[in-house]
Amino acid sequence: MKIRGKAFAVGCAAAVLLTSLSFTGASASMSPKKAFPTKPVTLTMWWWGDQEAPGAKLWVDDTVKAYKKKHPNVTIKTVLQTTEGLVPAFAAAAAAKKGPDLQYFWGGIYAQQPGWDGQIAPVSDYIPASELKHYINASTELSYQGKTWTAPWYVNPSFPVLARTDVLSKYNLTVPTTWKDLLNVCDVLSAQGVPALAGGVKDGWFGGWLYSIIGAQSVSSSKDVVAAVTGSQKFTDAKHADWWTRLQETQEHKCWNSDIGSLELYQAQQLWKDGKAAMTVVAGPDAPNFANAVGASKVVVMAMPKWGSGPFAGKMGSTSQTIGITKWSKNKEVAADFLMFSHEKAQLNNWFKRTGSMPADDRFDLASVKDPVKKALFQSALPGGPYLENFIPAQLDTDAVFTNVQLVLNGTKTGKAAAADMQALMERLRKTDRNLVKNFTAWSK
Amino acid sequence: MIKSAPTDYRFTAPRSLGAVFGRLKNTGPLFWIMPAGLCVLLIFGYSIIDLVQQSFKYQGDWVGFENFNLVLTDPLFQTAIFHNFLLLFTVPILATLSFLCAVLLFETRKGMKFYRSAVFLPYILPIPVVGVVFGQLLQLNGALNSALRAMGFESLALDWLGDPGQALWTMSAIIIWKEVGFGTILILARLISLPLETLEAARIDGAGFFRLHLQVTLPQLRSVILFYIINEAIVMVSWVFNYVYVMTNGQGGPGNATVVSELYIYRSAFQNKAPELAATAALLLLMATLIFIVGFFRIQSKANKGALDE
Repeated sequence: MKIRGKAFAVGCAAAVLLTSLSFTGASASMSPKKAFPTKPVTLTMWWWGDQEAPGAKLWVDDTVKAYKKKHPNVTIKTVLQTTEGLVPAFAAAAAAKKGPDLQYFWGGIYAQQPGWDGQIAPVSDYIPASELKHYINASTELSYQGKTWTAPWYVNPSFPVLARTDVLSKYNLTVPTTWKDLLNVCDVLSAQGVPALAGGVKDGWFGGWLYSIIGAQSVSSSKDVVAAVTGSQKFTDAKHADWWTRLQETQEHKCWNSDIGSLELYQAQQLWKDGKAAMTVVAGPDAPNFANAVGASKVVVMAMPKWGSGPFAGKMGSTSQTIGITKWSKNKEVAADFLMFSHEKAQLNNWFKRTGSMPADDRFDLASVKDPVKKALFQSALPGGPYLENFIPAQLDTDAVFTNVQLVLNGTKTGKAAAADMQALMERLRKTDRNLVKNFTAWSK
Repeated sequence: MIKSAPTDYRFTAPRSLGAVFGRLKNTGPLFWIMPAGLCVLLIFGYSIIDLVQQSFKYQGDWVGFENFNLVLTDPLFQTAIFHNFLLLFTVPILATLSFLCAVLLFETRKGMKFYRSAVFLPYILPIPVVGVVFGQLLQLNGALNSALRAMGFESLALDWLGDPGQALWTMSAIIIWKEVGFGTILILARLISLPLETLEAARIDGAGFFRLHLQVTLPQLRSVILFYIINEAIVMVSWVFNYVYVMTNGQGGPGNATVVSELYIYRSAFQNKAPELAATAALLLLMATLIFIVGFFRIQSKANKGALDE
């Protein structure tokens, strides 16, 4: 009993010591907490998101107003960016070290690269770990050597395929769940002059989506993709290249609308809404709006039909869109406080109310979601697979994926040639960005 | 009759170094030019020095000609330069069309003001507006193709901007449509200022429409057409970014079918975050443009010399 008592006492002492040590460690990684300023403070936030989560602008306005009510001395100016302008505008601001205090970033590489380039301060320096642990996808996409670059804002289940049962049943077809089924649907519908899938690749973005939802089916994890980036695997290896062949098959089976090359992503989705195509792919946050626009009972929300045998085949990916604090901001603590405020329960609920999409916080009560489409979508995103596009260099995405998807779907390039082109560009990027291998290797650890 | 300026007021290039210093003795003009000259020197001089420095560095470290090697061996840069080169073929088309339009407007008795405005209008339209309108108009199922199909010309309904084989030529056609107004007005202004006696004399001598304008008018317009050609050549090498950016959503697609050197520079600097490669490509582009500018001044100088000799 005595021994037990001693052991208990030693155990308690050790626990206290460890706790205090870990607390000290945590404090050391956080910037010393400053008193909240009482003088007037102005923050500028450049953001994006209303494009894929309509209603986001209303939420931003509500949240800024609510924060002003809480801290009357803080004024937050918000600037909604265009899709094409989001990255270049921030790059210009970063070059001048002048611009927003809070900046929107897509997940993965889009948040990592500004961190590697010294343009943003890790949010983990200003937001306690006990708070950050609730932010969905923060540890998978946004962490780097123990730090977290940006704070997830909302979840993007990436990317759901929406199938219209009314269009399919008109031709005695059912919703395809396998690749073979999909190609069969394409054959039947194309013979009738109806595209099975609506898409637009003129602006390129859809190419990245297709890479992520078709390509993810043959990789084991995001580490495979990073390995191909750093050179220990190749983009011409079957697990990275087979998706190009699948993409080519969709072109050969006339799955897409004939004007896919001259339409932008969001323009093409309209064909599906108008009942001129059986299926389309949409941004996760916008999927419920699409489903409701044509009648949720006529819509099946699903992952891309299965062709691969990888662990993510038939599953949806998950990524979070994020907000970071710029390195040059003079009010980083206030910016971080605003981010934490945006994750308070009232703001989480308001996000869902305004946009119908999922806030990136596990404290959001999923039980409050009654709409079956939304519920299924949100649940699919929680244990979601990696969103591949976020794990390759942005230049590889735009210069190899976007461009080759356009050419393969146009029928002017084969899948095999596209894979070879992607590999060639990757090899070149390792030469032009001398820190690429080092940064990606550190990220994957 | 409008007379040409007396030769003693014309600017002539100094023939020797001594002549240069001789001119510098008269410091009056230099004094007046200095403020503007200093502004130009500070703004452009600083930018060019910084550009040169950046093109030899990587993240602040000296790397010699490595950036030049990377840019010049980049297949995308080669493609971009090739596209700029192809766009140069539009320059003779532009010059010919501008001359034709100017002559037609000159010969038009009624409604000249209206036609002149109609030809010039595209030039004053903002490029983003032109890009967006043509982007919509030229979709595979857009207004132009719908009209062609309705008229039974199904085979002419091409994917103008979506097909990599067509996209650059479609863009060239749009650039021609927009830029021809500038050339027309420029040539027309010179045409109106020509002494009418020469044209009347040629007409009395029995010169028909074509002979009159090809053998009498055209030689007199040589300097202005030359200026226009050089100006448009510079446009094709370094001013087509707006067209490409707006019409292809900043992608230069489909594939790399419409990538031009300026887009390459922009993407390197602001999308791919490789300012050193952007600086290197910009320096190369500047050198290419300088060739045109120097070429222009040499030709102009020769033309002036020829005129003086005459």
